Amino acid sequence: MAVDVKVVTYRDIFQYGAEKMGLHSEEYLKLSASIILDKQDMARLGVAEGGKVTVENELNRIVVNATASADKPHPGLAFMIKSPWSNQLEGDESCLPGVAGVRGIRAKVSPSTEGITQMDEILQRLRA
Amino acid sequence: MTEFNYKTCTGCSLICEDILFPDAVSGSFSHAKNLCRKGQAHYKALFSERAEPLVEGSEVSLDQAIEKAAEILRKARAPVIYGWSNCTLEAQEAGLALAAKIGAFVDDPSSYCEGQLMERILSGKIPSCTLDDVRNFADTTIFWGSDPSSTQPRHLSRFSYFPRGEKRQKSYEEERTCIVVDVRESPTAKLCPNTTYRVMPGEDLQFLEAVLAVLEGKIPRFGDKKKMIELGSIIKKTEYGVIFPGPAMLDSLRDQMDRFEELVRRLNEVTTFKVVPMTGQYNSRGFSQLLFDRTGRVKGVRFAASGEAAAEAPSLVEAVKGADGILVLGSDPLLDLPIGLARAFAAAPIIAIDPRLSLTADVARVVIPSAISGLETGGTALRTDGVKVTFEPSIKSDHLADEQILTRIMEEI
Repeated sequence: MAVDVKVVTYRDIFQYGAEKMGLHSEEYLKLSASIILDKQDMARLGVAEGGKVTVENELNRIVVNATASADKPHPGLAFMIKSPWSNQLEGDESCLPGVAGVRGIRAKVSPSTEGITQMDEILQRLRA
Repeated sequence: MTEFNYKTCTGCSLICEDILFPDAVSGSFSHAKNLCRKGQAHYKALFSERAEPLVEGSEVSLDQAIEKAAEILRKARAPVIYGWSNCTLEAQEAGLALAAKIGAFVDDPSSYCEGQLMERILSGKIPSCTLDDVRNFADTTIFWGSDPSSTQPRHLSRFSYFPRGEKRQKSYEEERTCIVVDVRESPTAKLCPNTTYRVMPGEDLQFLEAVLAVLEGKIPRFGDKKKMIELGSIIKKTEYGVIFPGPAMLDSLRDQMDRFEELVRRLNEVTTFKVVPMTGQYNSRGFSQLLFDRTGRVKGVRFAASGEAAAEAPSLVEAVKGADGILVLGSDPLLDLPIGLARAFAAAPIIAIDPRLSLTADVARVVIPSAISGLETGGTALRTDGVKVTFEPSIKSDHLADEQILTRIMEEI
């Protein structure tokens, strides 16, 4: 089972604090390797609160924890705090001024039994 | 009479100048006054994960790191200098002098974020004001795709919602209306649920056109029509309105900023409306202003061998992909940029001038540790609204300031 979503990133003051304490810290990983999904989408995926999901598109794939949204229903729309994890799925076109807005990253979410994508793995990908 | 020894926080682009450290003698920041959560983290960073001088991953002396940096930049045929936003104006001046000397392409994160808005503000196409004007006069503030509670935590309390200003003594209780336009229920949106307008990704233009429609007395074709008409009524009753566009809105309207300019023009036919940017890093505005004053552009400038800005410049993506030497300061592009561009950075010989360990420093050919700008060094910077702030360092440090490092690299070259 998989759900197609548009991932919107945002800034979070708690993750900023975690970043300043260390990019390899547990707290930074916990806040960054996480996706907020609509409750209906969580149910369709059969994923419980804090369960692991794979988020992938043509660029990359990551495994993160899923959290149910406390917001009004927004099926097909997911949120991630901006981080190297969300950056794995984002294309360069978001850095080209003057081109059409590309707000939101298209991705497919599915349940996962793999381990959460770690910072070391992200660094390896950056060096590849 | 008590004398207060105020310090300045460079944790965000509000550059708060009223920070007090009662326990500063003992080196503790835990009882700091007026420091927000973000500022607290910024100060704590003084004591964790500091960088050391490195060349190819091996520890070296600071002199050796600077010599190697100069060697890479001297040989580079297509150098890039990127970052700048967390540096003082003095460091940015020194960096631009270096860029002119070596014919570098320069850019900062505003290139793909608030750059288009900043260019319009600096050239006078969009009217702006200071945050002090906002505190004193604004009765309607619109946070469009921005969330100050998360990014500039004292924005609402110092300037835009809670304080009593010269003409706004009854403040948020009676005189100020806060409006949020966002895709999600952000912490700022929770303050004003009745005046939050939900806009899905890519719908900002439709929202903008709906506002223009209600101002013309037409039925809007977007969103909850009743709520949109109420928004039109709020705007028409406004005496002094301010829009704070954030990255979500700017990203969505990237190729339609002319329509935003038109909206602001139309709003000013109805009443007074200003636009104040919400820059990310503490001196992002400073770099935009400096580059604009020097070249007439706020982003993506290639300096020719003559030291003048070339008429044409590549995009950041093109420049980084063709770079054979990249100097990064005041930023961590590998932390912030999409995977493709971050990889292009990682593939080039990077010189990272950084006070702390970062992803960019992790892949850099050369790491030069620096003082934390604003905390361990003094200088000047421009607040997000363009107001110049001069500050002294909060604590003493043996680390070199960015401009000292840049000057030494230039001397070596």
